[in-house]
Amino acid sequence: MTEGRPPRCSSMAAVGATAILAGCAGQQSALDPAGREALVLADLFWVLLCGAIVLWLLVNALFLYVTRINPRPLSRRLAETLIIGGGVVFPTVLLGILLGYALSIMPEQRAAGTGLTVRITGEQWWWRIEYLPEDGGAPVVSANELRLPKGQRTEIELAAARVIHSFWIPNLAGKMDMIPGRATRMALEPTRTGTFRGQCAEFCGMSHALMAFQVVVQEPADFAVWLAREGGPAVRPADDRAARGQDVFMAEGCAACHAIRGTPAKGTVGPDLTHVGGRATLAAGTLPNTEQAFAEWLAETDQIKPGVTMPTYHHLDPTALADLAHYLNGLH
Amino acid sequence: MSRLHPDEERRSFAEEADSLWRIAFGPLIWSAHFLLCYVGAALVCARLGGTEATLAWLRLGIGGVTVLALAGIAWVGWQAWRQWDFLDDYDHVHDRAVAEDRHEFLGHASFLLAVISFVGVVYVALPAAFGVGCQ
Repeated sequence: MTEGRPPRCSSMAAVGATAILAGCAGQQSALDPAGREALVLADLFWVLLCGAIVLWLLVNALFLYVTRINPRPLSRRLAETLIIGGGVVFPTVLLGILLGYALSIMPEQRAAGTGLTVRITGEQWWWRIEYLPEDGGAPVVSANELRLPKGQRTEIELAAARVIHSFWIPNLAGKMDMIPGRATRMALEPTRTGTFRGQCAEFCGMSHALMAFQVVVQEPADFAVWLAREGGPAVRPADDRAARGQDVFMAEGCAACHAIRGTPAKGTVGPDLTHVGGRATLAAGTLPNTEQAFAEWLAETDQIKPGVTMPTYHHLDPTALADLAHYLNGLH
Repeated sequence: MSRLHPDEERRSFAEEADSLWRIAFGPLIWSAHFLLCYVGAALVCARLGGTEATLAWLRLGIGGVTVLALAGIAWVGWQAWRQWDFLDDYDHVHDRAVAEDRHEFLGHASFLLAVISFVGVVYVALPAAFGVGCQ
């Protein structure tokens, strides 16, 4: 008789395991690897997890045996063998093997990039991103969104402006610290196209948790087209509202901090806005890239991102604010 | 309970004082090895450019220092093992306030510290064995 019975344990376990494993996927998960380094790290995680489960089962089985199944005092010889063998020799050898394995994969993990070089600087709280051409020409400056070609090993130079940050794209590779006054490096080799999320992984001030970025991995040909476009000047204002928004941008002194190539705006304090409308997010992964979000960001900057040095523009009348947001959002 | 002659007592105390020093020899060799390896690596990477040739010398140096450190710790461990004299009475509890227990306790502690120092030295030297570079 099976009708009316609760689901069997195995079915429930399968459902539970599926739900847990589904949680491993996503744009910001080291267990959903999309890069060569991340694949190795994910394998390492699963091997260690399986080993830990086996050890846990063995220890508990032994505990059950000596306390319930056969609760006789052990001979001293057996007890000492268990303590020295299981408590000293086994963990020492096992840790030695794991350390050896981790060290053996390190040179490959740290191998240099072979194509493009990207310099990324951690600011408070955003990412300055510069694509360095191989011919030594002027870098293509961008911010808060990293694009990479699939299947190519890109060299990443890391720096920090004022405080320590840590650069981490869990789907692509492990973390690397960004330290003021020191150059650190890593290389990223994406294995599939897609959009991923990076995050600062070292506390760097009030808005540390709001210091994220998008990573878009493209086919090499698409990436080359994008990079050529990204290196070009900003589009001209498409309509009257955008033209008025540009006037507001210049009149309010935004150009002192932000650059928009092709216009007099050449500031380098804040993120380059030449193609800001083409990015997926605003304020370093904090808001969606919409006109409304732009207007909110301009009017409530310090509320959205506490401690930020950019002043708020809540004194602007709503029409001017909307025009400015319209102009910036149109900078594809 | 017989009391030791004052000379014997002085000699016994001096021996225990010496073994009290020896208890730190294992960790001291471990820490000296750690410093030599890391200072050497820092000098080679930061001052000498971390070229293949200088890294080869660094690995050779770390290998030599490691052999010396392991030999030193093994000697300390052997001395401690003899002082503990475990195989004499298979005793690993030394909680009586008598000279023999103090003597064996110091040997026991020194032996265990030598074991962990030995493992520590091997783990510190492993990166050199696996060809990890300056990056």
